[in-house]
Order: sequence, then structure tokens, then C-alpha cells
Amino acid sequence: MIQTVRSEWIKLRTVRSNIVMVGIAILIPVAIVLLTVSFIDIFSVTDVTLTEVIAGSGTMSVMVLGVVGVLCVTQEYSQGTIRLTLAATSSRLRVYGSKLVVVATLATMVMLIVIAVCRTLGAAILEGRDVTTVVGYDGEFAVYGAMVVVAMLVAMLGCAAGTLTRNPPGAISSLLLWPLVVEGIVGGVLSLVIDGWKQDWLPFQSGLSGLQVSVYDLEFGRWGAIGYFALWVLAVTLLAVRLLKRRDA
Amino acid sequence: MITVEGLTKKYGSTVAVDDLSFTVEPGVVTGFLGPNGSGKSTTMRCMIGLDRMQSGRALFDGKPYSSLRSPLHEVGTLLDAGNAHSGRTARNHLRWMAASNGLPAKRVDEVLEIVGLQQVAKKRVGQFSLGMKQRLGIASVLLGDPRVVILDEPANGLDPEGIRWIREMLKHLASQGRAVLVSSHLLSEMALIADSLVVIGKGRLIEQCTVDQFISHHAKKWVVVRSPQLGTLVDLARAKGMQVATNENTAEFHGVESAVVGELAAGNGIVLHELSTQTGSLEDAFLEATAMSVEYHGRPEDSR
Repeated sequence: MIQTVRSEWIKLRTVRSNIVMVGIAILIPVAIVLLTVSFIDIFSVTDVTLTEVIAGSGTMSVMVLGVVGVLCVTQEYSQGTIRLTLAATSSRLRVYGSKLVVVATLATMVMLIVIAVCRTLGAAILEGRDVTTVVGYDGEFAVYGAMVVVAMLVAMLGCAAGTLTRNPPGAISSLLLWPLVVEGIVGGVLSLVIDGWKQDWLPFQSGLSGLQVSVYDLEFGRWGAIGYFALWVLAVTLLAVRLLKRRDA
Repeated sequence: MITVEGLTKKYGSTVAVDDLSFTVEPGVVTGFLGPNGSGKSTTMRCMIGLDRMQSGRALFDGKPYSSLRSPLHEVGTLLDAGNAHSGRTARNHLRWMAASNGLPAKRVDEVLEIVGLQQVAKKRVGQFSLGMKQRLGIASVLLGDPRVVILDEPANGLDPEGIRWIREMLKHLASQGRAVLVSSHLLSEMALIADSLVVIGKGRLIEQCTVDQFISHHAKKWVVVRSPQLGTLVDLARAKGMQVATNENTAEFHGVESAVVGELAAGNGIVLHELSTQTGSLEDAFLEATAMSVEYHGRPEDSR
């Protein structure tokens, strides 16, 4: 397994488009946070403001990491290397598991960098603008932990979407349209026909709501919401693995 | 050694490979021949588990491919030289393959040197010609120093020097005791490379034998005669019911042995300047053997 993971890691970091996507996943939230804290009205800043900005901009990183998960699989099909991969490692489960390990590790590393850079520079800028007590409130690290876990899950979901569709545009579209369009439409329709329907039942809605600073109104709480999303990711992953094992390469 | 037993592969209701069985012995190059769409590539993909076969099995030294923990050490496969990420360098392409089977990066440099790509190791594969991609594919086959080598159309896109290189490479690999299975449409090249043949048509085995046996089974033979008394000899032969075609200075006797023609000439005091047996090429034998298995026929444009 370690050999396969090492092989997948080499694959991921030796293609320029992957490096560009990782760069985007780091630079965009950092740029948003730095611009926000540089120009925000300092009288509106509270001890949770910086964390809220980091979590909000980090959502973009989460989605970009999902795209990296998609590319990790679909590049293999579009370039034909999947045949070499499956010839070099005859266990398809081991190949898929290695891809999950690599994208989840990458997602963790990227989110930790984003959080560390945004928190350090954001706090420094705010303190330079004479704002005190910008970090260190209770629950701050729970939000950051949630960002890391959700990024891992979305990257893994990207792998599953890539495995199911086998083509980059299809997988990226389905990954982005699911939270942005499909859940909005489904949630809207279900709220009309089911009394007491809660948006928390929508998987992506639930996972991303776990990144909120304030989670008092969440049906399952922060970790319950993320756990519910994780169950959906697990279900889609199992379906992807089943298809990967059955289909011709 | 490769053993394929009863391999059957269907796509929906279409049977691509039908109960195919053959063996590939170590120490020889075995040519895998068949018309377009006969199931050669499908068979190769099924053998290494890329495509799921409906029934049958393929064994490498008695083991199925799926049981090989580090397949590149056992079986080297080149199915399509285009199967490389165009944005990755040649060296990185081989590095991930080597890493997957625990091979050191040093081995990557070794195989790049063997195939003559060390100068372009840091170039992206997208900038490679088809011939260079073939060489890169061969490098990936050699990575694990495997005992079995499977190549699908390895000479595609290679220049004459490259074709000669691959011919010598395959013969060298076989001389080291490896089992080599190679498919190609270049039949003249196959005649030079292969020791034995597996010939299939419409997914079924037509024949497995040596190249010489295949040619003698399927290619036509005829006797060529050159003589100052050619007309007399032809008349005598035709009178005895032999099929004879004449050219300007020679006659071709079909369906008889050269000894019969020689005895006929000697018995009638006819001087011969040439008496030789001609045999059709591997291409002639292949076309004859697979005539009933060709799925796609062309025709000259003016034959409508």
C-alpha cells in the first residue's frame, strides 16, 4: 500500500494542472482574508470575525480541493494512464485507497497552510489596525478542525465523482452543481411538500454548515452535520469502488 | 510462460474473444496475429485483468495476474504507447510506475538509457513523437526486468532504425529466457522477429504453430523453371494435366513438386537453367488463413 501511495503522490505532484489547482486553493482564501481584514470597518470586528472570514473563504479551498480529487482520477482516464496504473497494481481497491490517502493528506496539508497563513497574517494586520482580541475565543479550533475534515471529505467525494463519470468536465460539473444548484432545487421543493423539512438533511448543506462559527441552529451540531455528510461521501465512495472493480479499464 | 485457457470476452451480445486457448513459451518470440477486430488487444487486456473475461483464465508461470503483488517484476506490458500523461516528463512517468512496484529511481535512469531517451528524460511526453512514445513504452516494460513481455504493435510509428532496434530488443529478451508475446500488423517484420505464432480470427484460435509450419500450411508453393526449351516442357506438362503459367523466360508449375518437373525434363532431354521451389510469404499465408475471418473489407475505388 505504501508503494502505491508513493506512486499516486508522484502522479499528483508531477502534473502542472494539479499544482495550479493547489496554488489556487491556497492563494484565493489567503487573498480574500488579507483584503477583508485590511479594509474591514474595525468597529465591526469582534473576537469571531477573523475566524468567520477564514472559514468563509476556506469554503472556496474546499471546493477547489474537490476538483483536485476529481482530476486525480479523471486525468488517468483522459490520458489513458489508468491502464498502466491497474497493470502496475493489480488490486483496484489498493489503487483507489491510495488515491484517497493522497488527496485526503493533500487536503489536510492545504487547509492547515491556509488556516495558519490566514490566522497569522490576518491577526497581524488587525492588530496593526489597533484591534485587540482577534483570536483565541472558545471553539475557534473546532472551526479550523471542521475545515480540515470537510476538505478531506470533499476531496474524497471528488475522487468518487471522477470514478463514476470518468471524465473531467462531467465530474467537476456534478461536484459543483450538487451544492450550488441541485441541493437548492431539491431543498426548495422538499420544503414545500414536507412539513418540518430542514435543509440540514441535504448532504452538502449539512457538511458546509459545519464550517459555521455559530452552530446553535444546526440540527445535529457541528460534528453531527459533518458526520452526516461523511455518511453520504462513504455511500458514494462505496458505489465508486464497486463500479471501479466491475468495469473494464 | 503464459497459459491462456478458454478465454471468452463478450461486449453485450458481441463475442469479442471466443474460448481462446494458447501458450507462450519462454525463450521464444511468439507473434500474435489476427485481422483488425479479431480480438488481439482485447485478449491482451483480459490477460492482465484490465478487462473482465466472462470465462477462462490467463496464467503467468502458473499464477493469475491478479495474484501478482508486484506485477512489473513478473510481466511487462505495452498496450498503447499513447498511455502516458502528456504533461508529465518521461522520467516522472517512469518514476511513478517504478514507485508502485518498489523499484528504485536508479532503475528509471537505466531503462531510459537502454531505450535511448536519456537526453529527453526531462521533456514532457506531449512533445514526443510516436516513435519516442513507443520507446518510452518499451522502457516501462523493461522497468521491472520481467520474465514475461507482452507488446501490442510495438513497431507502430518507429522509423527503420527503430524497427530494427525493437526487433533486436525482442530477440534479445527472448534469448534471455523470457516469454515474449508480440502483436503486429507488419507481417514482414513478424516473419523476421517471431519464432512461433498464435493466429486468431473473429476471436477464435485459427492456429498455433511455428512460423515455418504456418507458411507451409497456408501459403502456396510453386516450381519455377527456366529453360531454352521452355515451350516444349510446358506442352509436355500440360499434356500430363499440370497447371502451368508462363512468363517471358520462365514457367511456373503449380501443384507439383520440383522433382516431378525435373524428371519430366530429364526424361525428354530438356536442358534446365533453373529449377526452384518458391513459397509464399507470411503475409500470403496470413491472408489465406484469415480470409474467412476478416470483418472489414476494402475495395479499389474504380471497382464500383
